[in-house]
Amino acid sequence: MQPRGFWRPSGEHVLMSSLESLTDAQLVERCRAGDPEAWNTLVERFSRYVYAICVKGFRMGDEDAEDVFQDVFTRVYTHLDTLRDDTALRPWIAQLTRRLCLDTIARRGREQPADEPTVEEGRDDFAEIEEAFEVREAVTTLPEACQEILDRFFARDQSYKTISAELDLPAGTIASRIARCLGKLREELDGRSEPTSGSRK
Amino acid sequence: MVARCSHDSWDEATGVAAQALALQDRAARLAQVDADVWEEALSALHVAGKGEASDGARRDHELEQKLERAAAVPLQIAELGADTAALAAHAGELCEGTYRADAAAAAALAAGGARAAAHLVEVNLGVREGDARLARARASEQAASDAAEGLLASIR
Repeated sequence: MQPRGFWRPSGEHVLMSSLESLTDAQLVERCRAGDPEAWNTLVERFSRYVYAICVKGFRMGDEDAEDVFQDVFTRVYTHLDTLRDDTALRPWIAQLTRRLCLDTIARRGREQPADEPTVEEGRDDFAEIEEAFEVREAVTTLPEACQEILDRFFARDQSYKTISAELDLPAGTIASRIARCLGKLREELDGRSEPTSGSRK
Repeated sequence: MVARCSHDSWDEATGVAAQALALQDRAARLAQVDADVWEEALSALHVAGKGEASDGARRDHELEQKLERAAAVPLQIAELGADTAALAAHAGELCEGTYRADAAAAAALAAGGARAAAHLVEVNLGVREGDARLARARASEQAASDAAEGLLASIR
């Protein structure tokens, strides 16, 4: 068992491991075989996803989210053998996270009444989280240069001028480059036959 | 709007529309932040105006920090204006002719925004002539203006 506190939703950029390109099913297989690096990769791949469900979907505070986060990955680790369809890792983790979030909210409710949202209220947020995760997965399949430029413009809010200066690209070409990368991203997303299967290309 | 309406005639249109939406979202966020930091700076100026001499150093330091923030946000807005004008000019070059005037109008509006934002940087009490922030704001203002003028000239 991994020590508690080992996995954290830091949100920091981490170095890509050699296992990053594995599909979810391949990753599960490696985890079952006892590969510790595969386990780290699995946690890294799903850490933001689990955290987003806790914080955005259930409006949890950091402390509760951290507890659920730890519980989810502990259970994933101990119950991985019970997963029937290895390609369904993500839906399984999502279900597990939601259940543990509800348990935590129910427990907190007994301790202190709070204005926690119902699952019904959070439905749109869950859909957004799913969509965001799909896009994030698809982005990782794009060429490195595309990942870089999309991240700078859409995630870091960098200006064309800053992107141009830092990537040493002509300023007048940035908008076109971003548009072309978005075109590739669209092709990747359109090409996914099973958008909720949790598998990777 | 220009990119969305002429997406059939131009491969990059959808990607340009997505960037326009991102810039729009960024502008809305920055406008709110700008209002907030300016209000904070005004309050700090008010307090500084009637404060006692004993806590003058701390008060001046707080005021300086708030003025810094009040200059940083318009600078970001000026750069955003330059990007928006550049994107509008790019769209205007490639879109269907029917929408070129709309793209030019968008570029001109963005250039106006960049100009206004650069002016706010310039009049900030914490910014002096020769300040790098002022140079950046003016460069953004100029870039936005050039982009808008270029497109307007091409359709006159």
